[in-house]
Amino acid sequence: MGYVAVKGGTDAIEASIDRLKYERLKGGEQVEVSAILSSMRLLIDQVMSEASLYSPELAALAIKQAEGSMEEAVFLLRAHRSTLPRLYYSETVEPERMGVERRISASFKDIPGGQLLGATHDYTHRLIDFSLLEESEKKRKQWLDQYEEELSALEKATGDGTYPKVVEYLREEGLFETFEPDNTEPDDVTKNVFQFPASRSERLQILTRGQTGAITALGYASLRGYGQVHPTVGEVRMGQLPITVPAHGGDGEDDSYYIGSVRATEVESFVPMPTKGPDGKQELRFEIGYGICYGQNETKAIAMSILDQCLEHPESDAPSHDEEFVLLHVDTVESTGFISHLKMPHYVTFQSKLDSVRNTRKGGDGHES
Amino acid sequence: MKRRRMTEILIEGNPELADRLASEIRHHYPVRELAAPRQGLTMIKMRETAKQSLFYLGEVLVTEAKVEIGDHIGVGIVAGVREKLAGDLAVIDAACRAGLSETAGWTAMLEAEEIRLADRKHRELAALEKTKVQFDTMEE
Repeated sequence: MGYVAVKGGTDAIEASIDRLKYERLKGGEQVEVSAILSSMRLLIDQVMSEASLYSPELAALAIKQAEGSMEEAVFLLRAHRSTLPRLYYSETVEPERMGVERRISASFKDIPGGQLLGATHDYTHRLIDFSLLEESEKKRKQWLDQYEEELSALEKATGDGTYPKVVEYLREEGLFETFEPDNTEPDDVTKNVFQFPASRSERLQILTRGQTGAITALGYASLRGYGQVHPTVGEVRMGQLPITVPAHGGDGEDDSYYIGSVRATEVESFVPMPTKGPDGKQELRFEIGYGICYGQNETKAIAMSILDQCLEHPESDAPSHDEEFVLLHVDTVESTGFISHLKMPHYVTFQSKLDSVRNTRKGGDGHES
Repeated sequence: MKRRRMTEILIEGNPELADRLASEIRHHYPVRELAAPRQGLTMIKMRETAKQSLFYLGEVLVTEAKVEIGDHIGVGIVAGVREKLAGDLAVIDAACRAGLSETAGWTAMLEAEEIRLADRKHRELAALEKTKVQFDTMEE
């Protein structure tokens, strides 16, 4: 059976859109985009990550328009992205150039350069802070002035804000396999429909733009037994990645254009893998799962590192090792779009199913006529 | 000064500096606008650290402008919605490509702004250093 177009309901749709606007405005108070930008950092990060478009300004606007709905805001940003030309490809971003704002390891207490907690909710009491109900402009300014005064009294640090990678020290010790830089041009899932088996670059691109909840759920499922990867986090780091684009007729890296930086969270997970040594005896070696996403979103990046490692081992029967199962179900727009379409009118298809049931009850063969 | 270093100073620094340098050129030379500041995308190519391969991290919104001075084309590209800065960067780029005499006098201003940026960065790093963990092993 094909689809049958129907029309009607235009007046009702217009009234519904008015009703939507009324719901957004009726409270009498509106949050400005600038307020979202300055106070909803982590929400903006998540929207940008799932939309695969780094633009805090547009993400904040989308959040306002969507009344805070994640899926709607991501949809808006993806739709807007499709109207813009892709002007450039960046030069390769080397992750060790990240200007680090936070960096921790769950594998080693002492890591070269030290553990930098940065800004995190990890060590806060998860109790509602009722004092925020009365947080006045004056109080905010007082706190800020005092904090900044304390900082200005600090002795200035040296260095450029980059830190060595924990994994590189282990590679130097021969504990992890080393790989030469592979400069094969990546595949791009936004330009070409990928086919199975997906390339590594396609897998990483799909995972990094995946829905936070979906990536987290599948990573968690792997830990609980629906996969065979249970890692230790080698390093989580969050900070600014500098972006450059090559200049036409330019003369090397120093001649490229710096265009700004994007904040990202990056994770290397260490995964023990049983293997047979040269003498045929069972031994353990470590492999690395890689996760990264726009903004500060450590849960997603860690979960991505688990799924990356799962998908590197398709020989397992567990669902989180099945790339079709993982890669086709983690995209926000695809999954919410398909689920949402079920609420669209299906009058004709449902009617045919009803006819089929009625026919069966009357003693027919149940097939559609 | 190399383009990579100069554009970082102009983008991360006070936008008044880019405005001042571009105004100086506009005052002395005819600047033809080839492409008014417009929004577009730059796809970020990234190296991952597990197997050292490349993949696409995602796109970043940029503002781009193009101008021409004489027969030298200048390009201004900056992340975000920053039309004025993109236009100024394009003029500065064209001036540098054309080797205009005014550009010779810019180095000191750019270096001064670079020092100010480094100072700001080192203060920020000091603030982050305060969150560095000093582990003490607990005795029984």
